[in-house]
Amino acid sequence: MSVFSESIVTKINGYLGRYETKRSSILPILHELQDEYGWIKPEHLKGLSEEFGLPEVQVNEVATFYSMYRLEEPKKYRVLFCDNIVCHMMGADSAMAKIRHMIEDFEKKTGKPSPVSLQGVPCLGVCDGAPAMLVNKDRFLKVTEHNVQEIVSRYLDEASA
Amino acid sequence: MGNTTDKVKILTAFEGIANSRALATYQNHGGYEALKKALTMAPGDLIEIVKNSGIRGRGGAGFPAGLKWSFVPKAEGQKFLVCNNDEGEPGTFKDRYICELSPHMLIEGMAIAAYAIGAQKAYIYTRCEFYEEIAWLETAIKEAYSAGFLGKNIFGTAFSLEMDHYSGSGAYICGEETGLLSSLEGKKGQPKLKPPFPAVSGYLGKPTVVNNTETLASVPWIINNGADAYRAIGTEKAAGTKLFCISGPVQRPGVYELPLGYSFEKLLYEDAGGMLPGHTLKACIPGGASAPVLLPDELKGLTLDYESIAAKGSMLGSGAVMIIDTNTSMVRLMEIIANFFHHESCGQCTPCREGTGWIANIMHEIVSGHAKEEDVDRLAVIAKNMGGKTICALSDAAAMPTMAIVQKFGDELKAYIRKGKAS
Repeated sequence: MSVFSESIVTKINGYLGRYETKRSSILPILHELQDEYGWIKPEHLKGLSEEFGLPEVQVNEVATFYSMYRLEEPKKYRVLFCDNIVCHMMGADSAMAKIRHMIEDFEKKTGKPSPVSLQGVPCLGVCDGAPAMLVNKDRFLKVTEHNVQEIVSRYLDEASA
Repeated sequence: MGNTTDKVKILTAFEGIANSRALATYQNHGGYEALKKALTMAPGDLIEIVKNSGIRGRGGAGFPAGLKWSFVPKAEGQKFLVCNNDEGEPGTFKDRYICELSPHMLIEGMAIAAYAIGAQKAYIYTRCEFYEEIAWLETAIKEAYSAGFLGKNIFGTAFSLEMDHYSGSGAYICGEETGLLSSLEGKKGQPKLKPPFPAVSGYLGKPTVVNNTETLASVPWIINNGADAYRAIGTEKAAGTKLFCISGPVQRPGVYELPLGYSFEKLLYEDAGGMLPGHTLKACIPGGASAPVLLPDELKGLTLDYESIAAKGSMLGSGAVMIIDTNTSMVRLMEIIANFFHHESCGQCTPCREGTGWIANIMHEIVSGHAKEEDVDRLAVIAKNMGGKTICALSDAAAMPTMAIVQKFGDELKAYIRKGKAS
């Protein structure tokens, strides 16, 4: 497993014997790789298929089935905005439009690629705080077009500073 | 035995209590006494109590929990208990609330359930987007191990139980029990054909019970207070309390623990404080995105239990009450529902994979102003052909709300098509 750093190999090994079957550890290991590298690289999937003795396609199909795995190099900050029923009713569309506008503005002004990406996702399970979004692992509630500027500019400003 | 629809705090007993998640707090309020009591009883007697309590699965299907437990073969051997904490039904946020309030109530309920069915290993499967909640659960599991409520020879008995947490990764279909088990096995979360049911052949082909978080967290109260006490709450066919998640343009959205059979109007106008100023009730989806929408007339006098909502042609589901106001376009709402199910279809069965795609495509055509009025009828035809033909219920879950919206808001859809926009 030379494609992995030493620290991550220790973590991976911790999962291999944790469940009744070695294969159950694939999902947690993919989460660990994503936490460590920010995304899951093609060579990681190849490395795992060797480790598990599985055809590469079987590791790939797991990684691609679940939408929370990132298989492309992500921006530093990934905004996952709920665009489902309740968040939509409570103003998700206009808040998302505002974020999109901020990202475009940032790129125009600085000439640099935005460190923030925006993606609509299904219900985040916090409809009592709709509209809701995650920025990486941090959850924000009642995000509207009125307060979203303040939240997202923190992440954008950090990059332009 | 008289039924009561007065409020009883079972799952929300720790509301307003400081440090409610801590083991010490839980024990100060009688925590783990139910497990201690259960371990003095025969597993079969526990199953009888849960059966007699009348509790039905709180994840959405409403299958009697005790009956599910009784399907596990009595013979010795490796067995599993899995808590379905993969809360993903749009509009639902009640299991999250249990994790936030009292993770030990869930762990205690799981230990009792595991003992009753003879499981030696239990898993909590949570959607990974619940980052904080997962940390709380993992802490609580550690605490329970240190105190001897998990691990070897619990309360000095012969019963031993290992418990672990497992994170999903953003797939709604893993809320379906066989999809969840596929995922737990490290595979794509695709559902499997039943029978065999998981109680006979589940995780790794071993007998496995999959119960919802809310169901399992109700178990300690049932053991402490008895089946009759639980049955006395709610209606004759729908016993106990249920966590209702009310959301949308209302004054106080949130989780409310209510006896089954509680008045919808009381929930909306008293508990949730009514509509936000300037918003008027247009409709309500009473049980998550898969539940058919109900009109204000159908909501009058409605009581919140499995039978009453089914009589109106919808379902109680997960208890996700989504209030829709007159500012909301049913065209956009239907498009959101269609996109959701299309995105979440696992792709195994043609009626679901293609049907959800066709519905989503027609909705995009409508929204972008490229549809004809007869496309609305086409939605109904497609939906009608998606029900009862697939491995799991996702196809039906996509078809039912579609048919209801076409039937009840067909005119709004057609008016949109004529104008090419919302009126």
